[in-house]
Amino acid sequence: MMLATPSSGVIKRTRVAVRRSVLRGQLQAVAAGKSESLTFDPDSAAVDVAALVRQVTAGQRPDSLLHQRLAGAFQRSGIADIVIDQLAAADAALRTRSAQLAGVLGMTHAVSWISPLLSAKEPAVRTAATRALGRIGGTQSAHALLRAIRREGPRRTLLVELARAAPDLFLETALCETKRTGAQSAVAIAAGLRGRRAAVAPLLALLASGNRRERVASCRALGWIKAESALPAVAGALGDRDWRVRVSAAKAICRLGADGYLPELEALRSDPNTHVRKTVRIAIRRLLNTTEWPKEWAWR
Amino acid sequence: MRPENHLGPREVLTGTGRRSTPILRQHPETGRPAYHEMVARVAVLERAAVFFSLPEGVLRALARRLRRVTVASGEMIVGQGEPGDTIFFIEHGRCRVMIERPPSVVTVAVLSDGDVFGEGPWLLKRPQQASVYAQTDCTLLAVDRQSLQLVLGRDRTAIENLTRVADHRFRTFADTTVQATWGTLFKEATVVGVYSPKGGSGGTCLSLNVVGSLARRYPGQVLLLDLDFPYPHAALLAGLVPTTCLARLSQVPSEPFEEALLSAVLYHSGGPMILAGSLRPEEVEEVTPELVTRAIGILRKTFRYIVIDLGVTISDTTLALLDLTQHIVLVAAPELSAVKSATDAIDILIRLGTPHDRLSVLLNNRSMKPAVTRPAVERMLNRKVDIEVGFDYSRPDQAAVNGEILSITNPRSEITRGAEALADLLDAIHGQDRSTTFAAGRSVPASGHPGHA
Repeated sequence: MMLATPSSGVIKRTRVAVRRSVLRGQLQAVAAGKSESLTFDPDSAAVDVAALVRQVTAGQRPDSLLHQRLAGAFQRSGIADIVIDQLAAADAALRTRSAQLAGVLGMTHAVSWISPLLSAKEPAVRTAATRALGRIGGTQSAHALLRAIRREGPRRTLLVELARAAPDLFLETALCETKRTGAQSAVAIAAGLRGRRAAVAPLLALLASGNRRERVASCRALGWIKAESALPAVAGALGDRDWRVRVSAAKAICRLGADGYLPELEALRSDPNTHVRKTVRIAIRRLLNTTEWPKEWAWR
Repeated sequence: MRPENHLGPREVLTGTGRRSTPILRQHPETGRPAYHEMVARVAVLERAAVFFSLPEGVLRALARRLRRVTVASGEMIVGQGEPGDTIFFIEHGRCRVMIERPPSVVTVAVLSDGDVFGEGPWLLKRPQQASVYAQTDCTLLAVDRQSLQLVLGRDRTAIENLTRVADHRFRTFADTTVQATWGTLFKEATVVGVYSPKGGSGGTCLSLNVVGSLARRYPGQVLLLDLDFPYPHAALLAGLVPTTCLARLSQVPSEPFEEALLSAVLYHSGGPMILAGSLRPEEVEEVTPELVTRAIGILRKTFRYIVIDLGVTISDTTLALLDLTQHIVLVAAPELSAVKSATDAIDILIRLGTPHDRLSVLLNNRSMKPAVTRPAVERMLNRKVDIEVGFDYSRPDQAAVNGEILSITNPRSEITRGAEALADLLDAIHGQDRSTTFAAGRSVPASGHPGHA
């Protein structure tokens, strides 16, 4: 009886699984402090090293000892230098993988090489670079993300990663820039996602004097921050001439749980705009019943 | 695509941005700061604790990564409980550090030029312990965690020192918060002024030890207000590191003044409390008679005894304080010049209307064989010496080095005996009329001193 020869696909998958397992073992040994170096081929496309590092460091802070050990091991093994070299490679897949790895390892010194990838033609490279800068964080990363937002508009990934990367008082100062940059509404959203109370005053200023987009973003951000001190200003926005601002203000009041403003919300039940009426209906229901947060408001 | 520097129609028409006075302003940063800018940044770094000891190269690397931020007065810089990732150096201005402890808000420190804050979350892996607000318009230099790790990553000593400073500050703020929320428990305190007309007579040492003796009887109810300008060192002698002082409260508005004042008081583990008058010589001018009067008015409601180290000089502030004191202790050393100064000082005090029974003279022997004997001193002063403190060898100096208060740690010390005698005297004169007031308060005597109830 002859044994069936495994197909080349099976052999390939098995090899990849074995290499992945070996690399995971190496990473775990470094993370546990049992080993100080790594030996693998960073050019190999078969194993997603960044995903493995993410697995090993799951639940750890970016400045944890475990992260530092891994970053040190990559540095000592010379792989970190190869990763930086590959950030300028012609192959888009290679650049994507390198950006991902630089991100999970928190390679601050790679920011200058990752930043140009934000304007890459390939969406995968752009996304990987955006996420990498978000993970690395710091002023330089935040500046790069902010420039990308100004250039390309407020893409969702860019906003989320800007909120993650921005150091303290970065978004607040960006909100207060007197020079009109076209990114104020995006920065306001990022400030809201970040949830720092220091952003309340700049957001209020933006709500008072911004354009329609900025007022909408400010209201939402103030709601996310749960800035109770901003309630009068947000309630004032219920009477805004633009229906989008009124919707945003109603959502913010709902998010803030300000049932003292129910009469103002009730008055909007007869708003000429159907979106406002629907939002107000949901907001009132939420404020009165304290039911779960409406799923349709998850991200808008 | 919209160009980065595009101005909207409104900006083109008005020629300016939308807000004329931004709340926060980030200064335009170029890739490599100019020479004079670097010098200014390094100077700010060098003024900060721990950082001044870093090598020049590291300081320059750090200075390159700083970002300058201007914050308007009253704005929040850091929020309590939030995760933080930036260390701020104050280049100009003052910031209030406040801890919310419902139902009250406690100001735990007022920081000024050269001070640092925001280091806790990075070094201690904790959320922000306190909120920081700009008390005046501030210029800050901010450096984020990533830059610090990049620059200081291999300098373990610097990070360890920074961690130690952060940990000490964390514990100090926590203690201050607890003590400041004690609230107003008592009626009016007895204010005792300790005045030494000649420097080096041991006025500060005796003030500290009298406070120690009184604090053993009334823990947490005795305050030493150190106004021995221009170098008030009582906190240092007690092994405490003040982060704020009376002078820095001069610009605090009247509403949060009480809370800020009580928060500025340092707590010594032996029981006494210390409030520094100033931290730097240039801050002395901020301590005006009005400020002192306002502060004493509040402190009298909170403590049982307030001992004020008046130092050497007689200024407007000293005169204002003399009006507020119920008892004055004049410290003299048995030296010719010191006794002559004491004679003049007694004359001034009597002419200012100080009753004889509220003025005590304390003779502090700073050497084994004093040049002037006690009878000679009494003859020159034309009055009796109330308390004589014997020569205590090197114990006071050693205690200062160890950050100990002799009256708490060493009952055999001559200083302790003198301080106890003075505490007895004060209790005898001022304690009786207050016994009924304090009966319902928290004046629980220390367990080791049943006789002082």
